[in-house]
Amino acid sequence: MTTITLKRRDFLKLSLAGVVSTAVGSKFFKRKNNKSDETSPHKWAMVIDLNKCVGCEQCVSACQASNDVAPDMAWNRVLDLGEIKGKETFLPVQCMHCADAPCTRVCPVSATFQRADGIVMMDYDKCIGCRYCEMACPYGARSFNWTAFTGDNPVVPEWGEPDIPRRPRGVVEKCTFCAQRIDRGLAAGLMPGVDEVATPACVVACPTGARLFGDLNDPDSPVSKALAQTNSFRLREAQGNEPRVYYLPVEGQTLPEEVTS
Amino acid sequence: MTLKQRFFPLTPFGLWVLFLSVVLAAALVAALVVLIKGLGVTNLTNLVPWGLWIGIDLSSIALSAGAFVLSAAVYLFKLKKYEPLARTAVFVGMVGYSMALMTLFIDIGRPDRFWHGWFYWNLHSPLWEVTMCVTIYFNVLMLEVAPIIGQADWFKSRWPNLAHRLEHVHKLAPYLAVLGLCLSTLHQSSLGATYGILRARPIWYRPSLAFLFYASAIVAGPALTVLASKIAAYVTPQAKVRREILDPVTRVIGWGLLIYFGLRVWDLLVVSNSSAPGRDEGLVLLTQGSLAFNFWVLEFGLGIIVPIIILLNNRLRRHDRLTMLALALIVIGLIAYRWDTNMVGQLVAFAYQPQLTVPLYTSYTPSLAEWLVGLGVVAYGVLAFTLAVRYLNLVNHEMEPEPVVVKQVAAAAATA
Repeated sequence: MTTITLKRRDFLKLSLAGVVSTAVGSKFFKRKNNKSDETSPHKWAMVIDLNKCVGCEQCVSACQASNDVAPDMAWNRVLDLGEIKGKETFLPVQCMHCADAPCTRVCPVSATFQRADGIVMMDYDKCIGCRYCEMACPYGARSFNWTAFTGDNPVVPEWGEPDIPRRPRGVVEKCTFCAQRIDRGLAAGLMPGVDEVATPACVVACPTGARLFGDLNDPDSPVSKALAQTNSFRLREAQGNEPRVYYLPVEGQTLPEEVTS
Repeated sequence: MTLKQRFFPLTPFGLWVLFLSVVLAAALVAALVVLIKGLGVTNLTNLVPWGLWIGIDLSSIALSAGAFVLSAAVYLFKLKKYEPLARTAVFVGMVGYSMALMTLFIDIGRPDRFWHGWFYWNLHSPLWEVTMCVTIYFNVLMLEVAPIIGQADWFKSRWPNLAHRLEHVHKLAPYLAVLGLCLSTLHQSSLGATYGILRARPIWYRPSLAFLFYASAIVAGPALTVLASKIAAYVTPQAKVRREILDPVTRVIGWGLLIYFGLRVWDLLVVSNSSAPGRDEGLVLLTQGSLAFNFWVLEFGLGIIVPIIILLNNRLRRHDRLTMLALALIVIGLIAYRWDTNMVGQLVAFAYQPQLTVPLYTSYTPSLAEWLVGLGVVAYGVLAFTLAVRYLNLVNHEMEPEPVVVKQVAAAAATA
């Protein structure tokens, strides 16, 4: 009799161990993919018209204020390309929200991930600050918080109160296409790219209308219309990252070799 | 013995330990500064986010490879003769992995979240795989080291039961060797793949890095173990080495180095040599730029060619000091290789502006805090080895290989 109880106990122990390990394992395996399992009717993208950009950097200030970015960091930068076709040309760069984002693949803790609507986001509570995503990003779009950002944000008095909390020291941060504005706007029945409140701060701030935002799935969105009308290019297209920030080249300019190669 | 002599023994051993302790203490202060003030005290930037500390991680993990290579040789391929060397190797490996783990702890922005890799998986990330393998393998190494501690006389006399249990772990050695072989193969190569999969950095983006990291670790890991054993025997009579054990291993290291040399040349001439944008700049940086001395002299000349000549020549290999020099050069060559690989992709700065045709280079020099922490981690490793040679009888090739057999013989002698 004793032998039977022992066997049964062993059997129960083993089953329990099996159930527990399967439960724990499946919990982990649900998290394996950094692309969201949900579906979204939207596919957000930005179009930047290099003909219209005058390099005033108002988009940068609006971004720094809206997202409370430290002065020594930038989610959004404007590079001076010099004179092209007789026009002083500027190249605004930011997170390209790649459809196939290298950063989401390499993050060892799944802290950076892609939403169903294509926006690449950071989970600042998961990030361990290993900076592998900075190595993987082809566009230098990511900034690490080397020091804590304390004190007032110098652009806030002029450009408005931040929408999102400040990030702690030791994590990586980057542009989110102002996801907070998009989500809030959609919840209020507004259309991002059309209604200013629901549109990224940089697009709203641009005085020349060089930035357009909208849904690639919607043929009537500002970005779909602009891309249907004219020639456009994206940065480092050959790498296959499928960035979702499109540029309209300076009028008459042929595509530069580096872009197509 | 007076109190002063007891606590400040001015023997060479005492001075050496004192020196290492001072370096370690300075490093602890620097580490504390880094933890309190954050990574702002380093010279790392968003362009060069991985610096000296990553170089130490990569090097110490690669140089710990002697543990899995020699364990596999002894316990899986039945080369029993080399068991004393494997014993040294697993300890060196355990210390090496602990060095890497400590450095990583300081290097990440949020050390309080070091455990996240275990709870938030990303199966796509080589770094996640490395995290899992390294932490599991560190536990394997601790199990492999347990019998060494159990064998020490002072430990036996103080905690006889515990010592017996620790010695008992030795029965697991073959299973641990299988685990070590699997885990090491996975993460030693994945450390190369960590760089190899980054299409953002064309100089790294190639399939050969995983092979090269694995191959160089297999060669340089045992080289460090043999070198450490030889140095210990050179310095103190407590360490006893035997030529019959070390000489064949050094010769095999020489042949391994030759194969690795072939792989490197193949990589340089065939795999890396393409005109992909951004790759040329990396190659120029390695062969003519700021990394050229490391590349030609430390990696290839002194790190590969000179040791091959010494180790594969029976007459030259007979000179103990020359062999030691060759082994040291292999270790230096590996460190240079890891350093250059880590640097080259980062120093070619982003030039994604379509019109920019002139390559941009950035630079990186470690800050004082980085140096202090780095040196301290190395000092910790050397100190651990020094103490183990003295108190754990770590390098002893005259040890009886099978303690169980000795007991039987002793019992038989007693009854007879």
